[in-house]
Amino acid sequence: MGRQQGWFAFILALAISAAVVLYTNGLRLGLDLRGGSQLTLQVMPAGAIQQVDREQLEAVKDVLDRRINGLGVAESTLQTVGNDQLVLQLPGEQDPSRAAKVLGTTALLEFRAQKPGTEKQMQGLLTLKRQAESILAATRPTPDSPAPPASPLKAADLAKAMAPLGIKVSPNASEADQLDQLLNEVNRRILSLYGPPLLTGRDLTSAGRQQQSSGNSWEVTLGFDRAGGEKFAGLTQSIAGTGRVLGIVLDGRSISEATVGPQFKTAGITGGSASISGNFTAETARDLEVQLRGGSLPLPVKIVEVKSVGPSLGAENIRTSLLAGSAGLGLVGLFMALVYRLPGLVSVLTLGLYALFNLAIYSALQVTLTLPGIAGFILSVGMAVDANVLIFERVKEELRSGNTLIRSIDTGFSLAFSSIFDGHVTGLISCLALFFLGTGLVKGFAVTLFIGLALSLFTALTCTRTLLRLLMSYPGLRRPTNFLPASQLPSAL
Amino acid sequence: MSLSAPRFRISRYRRAAWIGSALACALSLLGMLLCWRNPTIAAPLLPGLDFTGGTQIQLERACAPGTCPALTVAEIQAQLGGLTLPQEGQERSPNLSSTGVQLLDAGKTVVLRLPALSTEQGRAVVDQISARLGPLRTEGTAINTIGPTLGSRLLRASLISLLVSFVAIAAYISFRYNGVFAFLALVCLAHDVLITCGVFAWLGLLRGVEVDSLFAVSLITVAGYSVTDTVVVYDRIREQSKALANLPVSEQVDVAVDATLTRSLYTSLTTLLPLFGLIFFGGNSLFWFAVALAIGIAVGSWSSIGLAPTLLPLFSARSPR
Repeated sequence: MGRQQGWFAFILALAISAAVVLYTNGLRLGLDLRGGSQLTLQVMPAGAIQQVDREQLEAVKDVLDRRINGLGVAESTLQTVGNDQLVLQLPGEQDPSRAAKVLGTTALLEFRAQKPGTEKQMQGLLTLKRQAESILAATRPTPDSPAPPASPLKAADLAKAMAPLGIKVSPNASEADQLDQLLNEVNRRILSLYGPPLLTGRDLTSAGRQQQSSGNSWEVTLGFDRAGGEKFAGLTQSIAGTGRVLGIVLDGRSISEATVGPQFKTAGITGGSASISGNFTAETARDLEVQLRGGSLPLPVKIVEVKSVGPSLGAENIRTSLLAGSAGLGLVGLFMALVYRLPGLVSVLTLGLYALFNLAIYSALQVTLTLPGIAGFILSVGMAVDANVLIFERVKEELRSGNTLIRSIDTGFSLAFSSIFDGHVTGLISCLALFFLGTGLVKGFAVTLFIGLALSLFTALTCTRTLLRLLMSYPGLRRPTNFLPASQLPSAL
Repeated sequence: MSLSAPRFRISRYRRAAWIGSALACALSLLGMLLCWRNPTIAAPLLPGLDFTGGTQIQLERACAPGTCPALTVAEIQAQLGGLTLPQEGQERSPNLSSTGVQLLDAGKTVVLRLPALSTEQGRAVVDQISARLGPLRTEGTAINTIGPTLGSRLLRASLISLLVSFVAIAAYISFRYNGVFAFLALVCLAHDVLITCGVFAWLGLLRGVEVDSLFAVSLITVAGYSVTDTVVVYDRIREQSKALANLPVSEQVDVAVDATLTRSLYTSLTTLLPLFGLIFFGGNSLFWFAVALAIGIAVGSWSSIGLAPTLLPLFSARSPR
């Protein structure tokens, strides 16, 4: 019996340390349980790169990490998935549209000087652009007035402005669509009038924002490194006093066009700093600042999945799943105690230990518990109970055929071993397939089921056996009728 | 070990068992065929958002169930059709007129199924529709968007992991037992998975129940459980094959099934109890998952009692060991 007591002490120590781990580390709950948003970003191949590889994915992640830090979202995590995806989790964030906007754009900033001899064309295009933009701003629905207000511009006016430039838009589209088409076309033509990008976001050392002295709009300030400052001076010098514009192009869209006064004719604008004033609000200025600080993405990304769950929805999920799980387990415990008597009670105890160990492992390995994860846990409890049922059925069989109690217990355990082992191993095999080939939710399920199965092999074969053997050392409990109704014992036949 | 004559002889009922299983399989195949021929589904099962891609918006109205101002699905659909959405880049704004609308919890919860929207467009739908649905509890709002490429990727990943786990399980059983056992275990597994799918094909046809990635998880779990159940019976047959070597295989099977019957029933019961907990007390999100598991587990224990053992003599007679 000394060996049993050693095992018992070991199990007791494990239980205490499991409780401590669980108490100190707590459980990590997934977004579906605590509320928040999750974005999946797909890195798209571009240019000479046909297939995105690990290294490029990491480069994209670095840039995104910097942007996320700039956004200042608490506890966010960004993880790579496979070779070309990133998953961003924003706990507690209900509206991921801002993060999506900041993360989803490449933020490639270019400074391009207008080509000589295109002044007249540029003038017409810029006028049209301002007109179209102001109309668009007025017709866009806002949260305060969901219905778009009547357009201040007649379709005929727009057509008159477009005619000299030879721009055509499809007349059947809605007004907003027509304006968008017009702006895209105007942008394309403006870009064609620019020279090559001589200065880009790579030459930046800092970015900031400030409110403009006049009005409510904001501007984004830029600081160049030494080489960038020289390039900027050269660029501005080349167009100073000519009436040609310096275009600031962000992700292929001309966001700001500025002329340079004749006083910079000799040296250009020196000092290595500049500012962009492109009708920014406080928020859009801050977003661009964050993007420019983080640098441009080496490859474009596309947001392929967005999930957001409200916190009360999460709390409800937890509450109902916990209630359901414990109600089911309570019934299982009752069933075991009624059918198997003393060993049934022992198994209820070991199943309690089993649940505790499981949670402690989740806590120690920082497994994120999701809804499918809880389902995996409940299912693994079912498998753990099965192991106990297999053993006790065998013990009963041995008792019925007239073996002594202690011998029956030992034989029961050893005979049940092979089917318990095979059943668990096949379960573990499916878990591995799910974990390595499955995605997201499926993975969460595979992890908890795997931990549960591995642990159940241990608890069923060790804990149940030790506790049962320990109880058998008390003569008062060592009666076959604690295992079987007397009518089923051979002596009663 | 008790080698007394079995009280329950499964081989006496084997014809009934085979006919029952064959009928269930045929019905399942019929359901999947009908789904396939149905022009609005055109797949063996009604695929959910996870596989088709799109945006699902769940809204909770700030009122007690039953006391919410009445709403009809058609009304909400008409309102959605009239929404204007912010445009995203060069892409055309999606058309919202063919939106699926579901009302749950006596009109308290509204679920919208839309084509894939950007985060801003999703926000805009919530902002604009909330004016019409009355006050909403913002804590109860959930917006899920899955791009169409991600959906097909998920489907492929699910199928591959299912097939790989089948093959790996078959390899393990051939190694531990033999090829015939492995083959029959796979037959039972296919039987269990097929019937679970069949039930959901009919549910999809009749009740519009969609399958999601959780359904794929439940299929894989059913597969694992089915094999475990079958293994227990086969383990028993192998264990007593020496002691009962002089008996015909069908007798050996009867003894093994009789000996493991109590265990099979008890185990199904104890696994079903927590699942019934999830079905009756769990939230909406796990309801169909628990139903799929419960069906699969019930069918799985049926096939491990009525199918796997009774098929064994057919194959053993042809290839005596």
